[in-house]
Amino acid sequence: MKDDTKLRADLRLVLDAQAERLDAARPRAVARQDKRGRWTARRAVEAIVDQNSFVEYGGLVRPATKGMEGAADGLVMGTAKVDGRPVDMVLYDYTVYAGTQSAMNHAKITRMFTHAEKHRLPVICWLDGGGARPHDMHVTARPSTPTFVVFARLSGLVPTVGISPGRAFAGHANLAGLCDVLIATEDSAMGMAGPPLVEAALGKRYTPEEIGPASVHWASGVIDILVKDEAEAIAAAKKYLGYFEMQQPAGEAPDQAVLRDMVPENPRRAYNVRNVIQTLCDVDSVMEVKAGYGKAAVTAFGRIAGRTVGIVANQPMYLAGAMDTPACLKMARFIQICDAFDIPLVVLCDTPGLMVGPEVEKTGLMRHSARVLSALANATVPVLTVVLRKAYGLGYYIMGSRPLEPAILVAWPTAEFGGMGLEGAVNIIYAKELEAAATPEERAELHAGLTAELKRSNTAVESGAKFLYDDVIDPADTRDILVKTLETLPQPAPRATRKRVIEPF
Amino acid sequence: MAKLEAKSEVSGFVWKVETELGKRVVKGDTLILIESMKMEIPVVAEADGVVVKISVEEGAAVNEGNTVAVLEI
Repeated sequence: MKDDTKLRADLRLVLDAQAERLDAARPRAVARQDKRGRWTARRAVEAIVDQNSFVEYGGLVRPATKGMEGAADGLVMGTAKVDGRPVDMVLYDYTVYAGTQSAMNHAKITRMFTHAEKHRLPVICWLDGGGARPHDMHVTARPSTPTFVVFARLSGLVPTVGISPGRAFAGHANLAGLCDVLIATEDSAMGMAGPPLVEAALGKRYTPEEIGPASVHWASGVIDILVKDEAEAIAAAKKYLGYFEMQQPAGEAPDQAVLRDMVPENPRRAYNVRNVIQTLCDVDSVMEVKAGYGKAAVTAFGRIAGRTVGIVANQPMYLAGAMDTPACLKMARFIQICDAFDIPLVVLCDTPGLMVGPEVEKTGLMRHSARVLSALANATVPVLTVVLRKAYGLGYYIMGSRPLEPAILVAWPTAEFGGMGLEGAVNIIYAKELEAAATPEERAELHAGLTAELKRSNTAVESGAKFLYDDVIDPADTRDILVKTLETLPQPAPRATRKRVIEPF
Repeated sequence: MAKLEAKSEVSGFVWKVETELGKRVVKGDTLILIESMKMEIPVVAEADGVVVKISVEEGAAVNEGNTVAVLEI
């Protein structure tokens, strides 16, 4: 039994110093955070970690600048278990000089990131703070700041999750921008620089929320998961890290019969591909990322019979599923995450092709669509492709078609195949016949008839006969076929080296 | 009773109004069809309720995020 009543002086000093950094010893700091409506860093630690699993590093560190005081110098960090799995975590403490990055806490965070690299531990970053602490510019013999370089080198080696629960500016935004997945609360604000620096550069005073509100970062694709508050943010981070436990007990399967009617009979009628994803995956296992950006595509993690998969789908509700630059950027990066960590990809194809026209050329679609193809062509993770409806042109080629050597390639009865858009193809193939038509009405009728004929020769069964797909299936059997295919694919051995870097965007 | 706005997720034109004022709808029912990229994109009821307002006419242009109908739920 520990008897704390008779302590030696040396031990007493240590225990007192340790107690000073805790919230119980800092009622004024806690009250300030309460007033902001925010959690303290230590409250977040408690909510994230399995009980009694947190081991703190650098808790006794004090600011380097003379006369400044601050618990753990504004960075709470250490190792812990989250849902039974080990992690490294770093949490900026807003109550210490607005969570700023100091000479000392840079040394601390570098220590934690290096630790994560050496021991292959996922990293959770709680990014609540306003960038560099100006006072520390006066620190003499200030060491260099490898923080961002070391963190960037974790890319693809270990999962990195950022949480922006309030304010993340400058250095904190740099870290946020490097995270594999960034979770942010709806009322948070982030930006390359906060109000004082923006005012110095642009001559105008803005509030943090005017500079970089979450709504802006959600629409730009910077935020992957938008949540209401700290509790939801932590739940999302835990759910995300859970996918790296590649096989869990199989979850409940939704009723598969609904898949038979999910693609409308009317070929012009759109449907929400999210419903397909939700039905194929175990109940409550899906987590969509970047839902506010690149809406012509849906990217989501999920589980099928307990096995982690990454789903990449076209979204017919938006641009008819045509792949534009934001959709391509979103898909390419998601594929990189899955490939880096050996998460099998399920590709759901329903696209009329890459988006066309002068407007998309201005966005650099030639290069950005190439990113998706490059990511898939160079991925070694298995790809399982399901053609739901449209499979046209280079869009289909990119969406897990035969040349990409998917582990399986199946199509639904509604699958329509075309090497290019059929209407455009008819214009070229039958140019002379169309030209010869007597009236515009006659020409339109001829065009419609020829298009329909071309479509008939490319139905799912006809395409199956030409061996464009491994099989054409009952949509209600899709999940079963995916499960059986996944069972033929062995779990990859743990990697000794990094497989690939994940681009920040 | 709360009001629930049904919004178009896409920019396009109103192809068809598939519901009517006062109609009782259930979650998932199609309210309005938007035409965009030669596709009919349904705006569906996000909850059970009664249609208390239809904000658009067939042929009208809509922008992403525009309210096309209002339900009382």
